[in-house]
This record gives sequence, structure tokens and C-alpha cells, in this order.
Amino acid sequence: MTASKKILLVDDDRFMLELTARALEKEGFFCHKALSALEGLEILAQSLPDIILSDYDMPGLNGFDFRQRVLSDPKLKNIPFVFLTSFTDEDLMIKGLDLQAVDYITKNTPLAVIVSKLNNLLSTVREEHQRSLQELRKTAEALNLRSVPVKAPVIGGVKIDFLHHPFQNYPGGDFIDFIVVDNSFTFCILGDVMGKKWGAWFFSFNFLSYIRSAVRLCVFEGDLSTASILRKINKVIYLDPVLSDVFSTVSLIRIEHATGNILYSGAGDLPLIRYRADLDETSRLTSSGLLLGLFPDGKYDEAGVTMSKGDKLIMISDGMIDYEDEVGKKSDFQLFYNSVLPVIGQENAFERIKAATFAENTEKVQVDDCSMIFFEIK
Amino acid sequence: MIQVKELGDYVVASLKLKEANLTEAERFKKELMEVIDQGHKKIIVDFEQVMYVDSSFLGALVSSLKYAMTLGSDIAVVHLNKDIFNLFQLIRMDKVFHIYKTLP
Repeated sequence: MTASKKILLVDDDRFMLELTARALEKEGFFCHKALSALEGLEILAQSLPDIILSDYDMPGLNGFDFRQRVLSDPKLKNIPFVFLTSFTDEDLMIKGLDLQAVDYITKNTPLAVIVSKLNNLLSTVREEHQRSLQELRKTAEALNLRSVPVKAPVIGGVKIDFLHHPFQNYPGGDFIDFIVVDNSFTFCILGDVMGKKWGAWFFSFNFLSYIRSAVRLCVFEGDLSTASILRKINKVIYLDPVLSDVFSTVSLIRIEHATGNILYSGAGDLPLIRYRADLDETSRLTSSGLLLGLFPDGKYDEAGVTMSKGDKLIMISDGMIDYEDEVGKKSDFQLFYNSVLPVIGQENAFERIKAATFAENTEKVQVDDCSMIFFEIK
Repeated sequence: MIQVKELGDYVVASLKLKEANLTEAERFKKELMEVIDQGHKKIIVDFEQVMYVDSSFLGALVSSLKYAMTLGSDIAVVHLNKDIFNLFQLIRMDKVFHIYKTLP
């Protein structure tokens, strides 16, 4: 899918506004049109464009005032801003008004040139942005900060696959980990720190560290119960002032290597989807546990599942059930479940589920981090 | 973002939003905390206009509840649409917040 190109056009000249909008729409831009700076600000309060093109000379709030208002709002100030000016206006602005506009376009510029200039600007901004993200990611990797492993562990009788799509390429709040204990058990963790992008990503490391140490400590003490691991994690997180305001869901399962049998506990997570090969039957596996860090007692329970050859299990984060259609955004677990139903019993079910759901359609419908872990008994 | 109205022994905080997401979460939390700070014992957040809630916004709601509880207050929700109601049930938010179908 091509990247979105939302533009806000502000011009008191209705004719110019429509003309520019039409030329831009032909080039795939989605235009919001405002006949005054005030109208523009109203639109900005509702929806954030990728770029703003504003006339300078307007009655009431002029382009200069508009720019200053935009600059004073932290949510808006980084949106690339282009002025449409006449020559005299440009002189005025160059005289030291610090408007931090990305560019100026003079009014007699042919429309085709304006469109290509805006296109170029947007791709430059995007490339720059991707480069900075890349740098940050490299730094995080160099520090060994990973909230998702590179690959799944290989266990004798169980095939494990997972997918993780960050939201708009930002690192996000989903985290995944596999902890192999004494070659006899593997603990699989899928969590989702509530929030998006950097904030959630940062806290996902705190949660992961707690979970990793809780698993290890419980194992040392001979306690292999997933519910008691979650109880311990919850107690610590509840008391940690750094995390007092941050919450996370977690699905935790323990796989016994010898049998493939599973023990599951959840904290505010979505149901797991279980497939039984002998009955060709799909069902939900639910838990009663609450979000980590919310109450001193999170009511964690555990469910044991006997697994046989061909049985499958799916864990997902909420990004997998969020999607966007013409009407707007939605969260719909049942829709995901229904799209999994026809393919989960088949060969290469993981690949088929990816194809059948929107998991692979990243930016088009994705509105949050998407993660899924898939287990199959060989 | 929220419109506050006192009704008998509780306060209704109506969300003036179609999409309750990350961008709105911080401001919502700030405004709701102001209502909590006024000492109301029961606050009902009205989702009538809300079509979609993301996890950041839910986080803000949950964190407001945690704050309210330290002051002996409670937060409930009302008028969840079908999708949001299902989501609340799926992730056990219905055990955290009292969900009203209509205002009591």
C-alpha cells in the first residue's frame, strides 16, 4: 500500500483552494480544506495531516499567526508546514520571522510544480524519519535491548512460530520471550504494555525483566505453576512506583517438552485459540487474571491442557484484532477467530492464518502492534 | 474532552470523542483526575459517542481508577457499544469496572 498523504490546505480564496485540492487529489493526496486559519485549527484539533500548505495573506488570522499557533502546540509543531506566498510576503518573512516553515512556494508557481514539490518534501521527511528510527533501533540492538527474540526455540515435539509487526515500524509495547528451563520445560510469554510507540516500548523491558526473573526464581524454588509466577510478578509490579501508572497484559504458558502438555495463565489477555486434531474442533481458552499491576490480588488461575499430535494453540496481542474499515476503527476478536477457523486444521496453519487474517497487511489495516505465537504438536 | 454533570450521588463524565486513542489518552487522564480530585465518590464515564478505544486509552482509564481508589472513589462506565463491551469482557475489564447499560 502507498503511504498516506494527508494534507491540510488553508486559503481564503475558495477558487484557489478547490483548484489546488483537485490537483493534489489526482496525485493521491487526501485533502482537508480550510477557508481560514481558524477553520484550519479546528480541523487540526480533529485530525493530524502529514503536511500543511497555507496561504500567507488572509483576513483575520494571517498565515503568520496561524504558523505561530501551530508551533505553540506540541502535537502540531512537527508537521511539515509550507507557505504559499506572493513575493512581497516572502520578503516579509525572510526578514527574521522565525516561523520554521519547511518551504515557501510562490503563488504563481504552476500547480504541477506545487504538487511535485509537496511530494518531494513528504518523501524527504519520511526518509529522514525512517533513518532516525533505524539509528535508534540499531542503538537498542547494540545495547541488547530486545523486546522480541530473533527466533523461536526449537523443542523436540513442539513446533513454535511467531510473528511480530510493530505499529508503523515503531518499536511498541508488545513483548515476546521464550525461557527454556533444564531442557524439560519452556515458558512462553506474550505481553502487551498498554500504550503505543516509544513509551510502551521502553516499559516493555521493565515488564520483561520482572517476568524473566519471576520465572527463574519460581523454578529455583521448584514452583512451576504459571499462576504463582503471575502472582509474584503482579505483587512486585503493583509496588513498583516506576510502573504504578503502567499496565500490561500477559499470556504465559509452560510447555512440557516430553508431552507437549501446556499450563496457561493470563493477565488481562485475549483468549487463546486451541485446536484439537482428533475432534477437528476449535475453542477458546480463557483465564480469569486481571491486568498486571492493577490490584494487589490479580485473581490469577491456571488451566492445564493435554496436547496430542496435530493439536495447535495460538496466543495473540490485541493488535491482531484491531482493524480499520470505511466506518472507522474496531476491535473484534470474533472476526479474527472466524478467519482462523477454516485454516487452523490445515497443513502449514501458521502461514495460512497469517494470510487469512490481516496480519500480513501491515499498514493498511493495522492500528497497533500485532503479535502472535503459534504452537503445534508434531 | 469530557463534559461533567452531577446527577444525584454520582458524576457523569461524558467523552466527547469518536475515537478514544493514544493522542487523547493523556488529556483524558488529566481531566478525569481533576474530577476525582474534586472529591466525587462515584464517577461514571459515558462512552455513548465513542466508537473505538485503544489500549493506551484503556491504560489511562485504568490508571485513573487506581488513583481514584487511593482516595476512596470508584469509576464505572456506561453506554459501551457492542465491540467495546465485548473487548471489556474479553480482557476482564468487566471485573475491574462496573458496566452500566444505562445511567442508574
